[in-house]
Amino acid sequence: MRNFEFFEPKTIGEASSLLVQYGGEAELLGGGTDLIIGMKDRTVTPKYVISLEKVPGMEGITYDDTNGLWVGAMTKMRALERSSIVRERYTALAEGAEEVGSIQIRNLATLGGNIAHGSPAADTAAALLVLDAQVNIADGNGERTVPIADFYLGPGQTVLQAGEILTGFSMPPRSAKSGSQYLKHKIRQVMDLAFVGVATSVSLSNGTVADTKIGLAAVAPKPIRATNAEAIITGNSVSDNLLQQAAGAAAAQSSPISDLRCTAEHRREIVAALTKETAMTAVARAQV
Amino acid sequence: MSEHAVVGKGVPRVDALEKVTGAAKYGADINFPGMLHARIFRSTEVHAKILSIDTSEAEKLPGVHAIITQDDIPTGRAVFAKEKVLYYGEPLGAVAATDPDIAEEAAELVKVEYEPLPVVQDVMESIKPDAPHLLNDRTKDGPRRRVITRQLKKLSKETGEDNSAEIERLNAELGGLDDEIYYNVAGETHESAGDVEQGFAESDVVVEGTYTIPRVHQVYMEPHVSVAQAEPSGKLTVWASTQGHFAIRSGIAGVLGIPLSDINVVGVTMGGGFGGRFNIQATHVPAVILSQKTGRPVKAQLNREEEFLDGRPGAGCVIKLKTGVMDDGTIVARKALAFWDCGSVAGGPIANTIRIRGVYKFPHLQMDAYAVHTNKSGTTSYRAPGAPQAIFAAESQLDEIATIIGMDPVDLRMKNMREEGDQVPAGATEPIVGYKETLKAAADAVDWWNREKGPNQGWGVAVGDWTNGCGPGAVYVSVHEDGSVRLFHGSMDITGTDTAMAQIAAEVLTVPYEQVSITRGDTNSAPYNTGSGGSVVTFTMGNTAKLAAEDARGRLLELAAQRLNTDIEHVELRDGKVSLTNGDAPKSLSLGELAAYSLSTTGGPIVGKGSLSGRLSAPAVAVQIAKVEVNPETGNTKVLRTVASQDVGFAINPIAVEGQIEGGVVQGYAWSMMEEMQYDEKGNVNPGFVDYRVPTTADIPRIESVIVEVPAPNGPYGAKGVGEPSLTPTLATFANAVTDATGVRINDLPIKPEKIVNALKSNGNGSR
Repeated sequence: MRNFEFFEPKTIGEASSLLVQYGGEAELLGGGTDLIIGMKDRTVTPKYVISLEKVPGMEGITYDDTNGLWVGAMTKMRALERSSIVRERYTALAEGAEEVGSIQIRNLATLGGNIAHGSPAADTAAALLVLDAQVNIADGNGERTVPIADFYLGPGQTVLQAGEILTGFSMPPRSAKSGSQYLKHKIRQVMDLAFVGVATSVSLSNGTVADTKIGLAAVAPKPIRATNAEAIITGNSVSDNLLQQAAGAAAAQSSPISDLRCTAEHRREIVAALTKETAMTAVARAQV
Repeated sequence: MSEHAVVGKGVPRVDALEKVTGAAKYGADINFPGMLHARIFRSTEVHAKILSIDTSEAEKLPGVHAIITQDDIPTGRAVFAKEKVLYYGEPLGAVAATDPDIAEEAAELVKVEYEPLPVVQDVMESIKPDAPHLLNDRTKDGPRRRVITRQLKKLSKETGEDNSAEIERLNAELGGLDDEIYYNVAGETHESAGDVEQGFAESDVVVEGTYTIPRVHQVYMEPHVSVAQAEPSGKLTVWASTQGHFAIRSGIAGVLGIPLSDINVVGVTMGGGFGGRFNIQATHVPAVILSQKTGRPVKAQLNREEEFLDGRPGAGCVIKLKTGVMDDGTIVARKALAFWDCGSVAGGPIANTIRIRGVYKFPHLQMDAYAVHTNKSGTTSYRAPGAPQAIFAAESQLDEIATIIGMDPVDLRMKNMREEGDQVPAGATEPIVGYKETLKAAADAVDWWNREKGPNQGWGVAVGDWTNGCGPGAVYVSVHEDGSVRLFHGSMDITGTDTAMAQIAAEVLTVPYEQVSITRGDTNSAPYNTGSGGSVVTFTMGNTAKLAAEDARGRLLELAAQRLNTDIEHVELRDGKVSLTNGDAPKSLSLGELAAYSLSTTGGPIVGKGSLSGRLSAPAVAVQIAKVEVNPETGNTKVLRTVASQDVGFAINPIAVEGQIEGGVVQGYAWSMMEEMQYDEKGNVNPGFVDYRVPTTADIPRIESVIVEVPAPNGPYGAKGVGEPSLTPTLATFANAVTDATGVRINDLPIKPEKIVNALKSNGNGSR
């Protein structure tokens, strides 16, 4: 690790102006589970590290039936997976959080970090996509909100501008007749990176699927929605044949790469398999 | 078991407290004031000529104390690359600096110019004439060419008859065997018995297959580390995390060209070894030379990435295997042609290709094995070197045969297993062995013949075998005035071997286990000892501890007889006391009293010595049965149940033995399902735990161990080496279970989900 200067600002404004001042030589520190590894490997060599630990109001989970769910950017993965409201109503997000690293890692890793990092394979990204999350961004002078689908620009790239800080996520309230699931394809049961991640969220109305959202991770330059597959399911009652069609459409909409983990072809097959499985589970959960 | 008081009991390990409290000092915990930190700078090319190495910028960095390259190796023995690099990460030299970050920074400032050369990573490509020839252009003959060449030589010596037609025929055949001219071969080994081709001709069923087993790292928890201190006198002290500090001493002496007596190696608590912790060049030699240059203590420590790039992992291989059987399951013949990937350094466990013969009796065997160079780091031992690979091929093929002839896989194995007195193919006759007992124990544990399975579930069984090594080693036993007993030796404790020794000494001297303690000496103080590997330790050191304790007991009895005014035949040692046995008044002397008394007698303090160079070791067998469930959509495999039986001779500490069995199963499971060092033209592409996967407890549920005890004639209390056998059948066990679950056979490890999905897609084209 190279030497660096460490800051612990007490407000968003202070953090933002440090970011502006030091530009490309500064890194924001959330849980540190990505940044510190990069610094140790010298793949990231910031001269200035700005911790968000002491900035108030950035951690926590709140919910009400009108405004829905709010999760602070500094909220730990472990808190998300253990939150009863997240587990009941925003199940895919709890399941995504639960897939990150080990318990020790999840006690440090933050939701904001998982997303702001810009990884197309982030475990919570597919869930946030299907739960209609809005990303709250602030820079000390003001705030703006961006739908999660627009937040990503490409691998490691997001809409965050110089001095901007991701502060939290808002998700609309969910009807009782809704359900979701996140599944991750990997080799090891736990503590593995996503070869493919798929989240599906549905809401039911009169026995048919009124709304479907399918999010895919690790199979495109950024997390994407499988909109063609969603259109196949929405407005219909689920059947094996319908899900098979949707699975094929999701696979077709993905654009995975081949790498040392597996081939693009395998990733597409897994997208299909997990689309089908998550859709079935999401519907079953919505019916409970 | 009840005849023993301490051996055969699962007592807590002697090092349990220091391990669980974190007090144990591992190599990385050794620090001294003024200590410098070493960093090795490494090749960034996979295969290249070195044009120049420029350390001038690195030398200028404040905090850098010394930089060494191959030019600093006094004997010129290869430690760092000088003319040419053969793999990515090959060491070029080392830096010593005041802290690890400065050393790393300096290592990055070393400028190296290369002229890149073509790369070869696949053994089957490397043997071809158009592959880059890594170390020389010499060639070796394949199996058929060897036979013909030998015949031609014989014919050319025969005079009187006209052999010209035969010679012409053989030469013609030789001319068509260009694909048996192998390049880049570092070593070869051949074995045969009977006539394998005749055996195949006589067989009802002949099955052939090609099996590919990847190179895997031992992934011991603690990366290589050493601390060296060179004294102005020329004497050296090295604190080494190693499986054998005497081996490190002789290794360093050889590279430096200095006497053994100038080097003291202190063996510190080791964070795992599995065969990979004998390598002197990883850290020991760089630390020593940097300390000599600077006069300061120097610590050299690899990180995990360096372990992968420049460790000495277990070798991968390609095995072409052919087996002939009769319809009733009788094995007739087996032939193997194996290519082991030894990387850039000659080595590889080629001789253990012979493990394809398993524990079965059959008349015809042929084995031809070659070690082949590629642009990778060298290899070394990994727990039963070569056996898991060879046995994977052999036991997978046997399972395939069971399916073809419609015979139960356990019955097929039982039918062919050797017993005492049977001829080992290309070997001696079997001593007393427990093969059948161990197979039956595992089968009974799962009620094999009534086993059930649901959809996508399958059972797999496999049998692996191994023979432990032995000696040399020595132990001293002292009995102190408080009755306590201390063992002193030079053996590195792995997996509870010190505990076994303490149990044995307690048993012989009839004292409570807690009264025995152990001190490990450095190479200056302790008697010579073999390294802790090859399942030798409990077999060797258990025997020497027993001899030493018996020696001490003899001295105690002698002294007691003298003190009690009787003959030695009339005293006995029991419950820590020596008593009269001739019916006189119950007089006795405790061990403490005798030890105190010994201080004022002519005989002097009670010391027992045990020393041996070797004893005939014992064949051990491990049988494993697994039940798995495979998701045909994703190819993911879930382990439902694992039973592992093993003939351990006698379990001196059953808890420790179970630990050994479980550890082997987990490592074997990992090798079959996920572990693999991946290489391409850029070198090792997964040098870290993100993409080199080792399992967690979530991947493999509780392992049911079944201990079988068929005593080894020469083992302490009948004990056999237990460390290595447990890994030998596992790869095949899980592969066979996956096949039973899916109907497809994957002969190319690891069995990743993608391979299962692909095999299921192409099912109908037959197994590979």
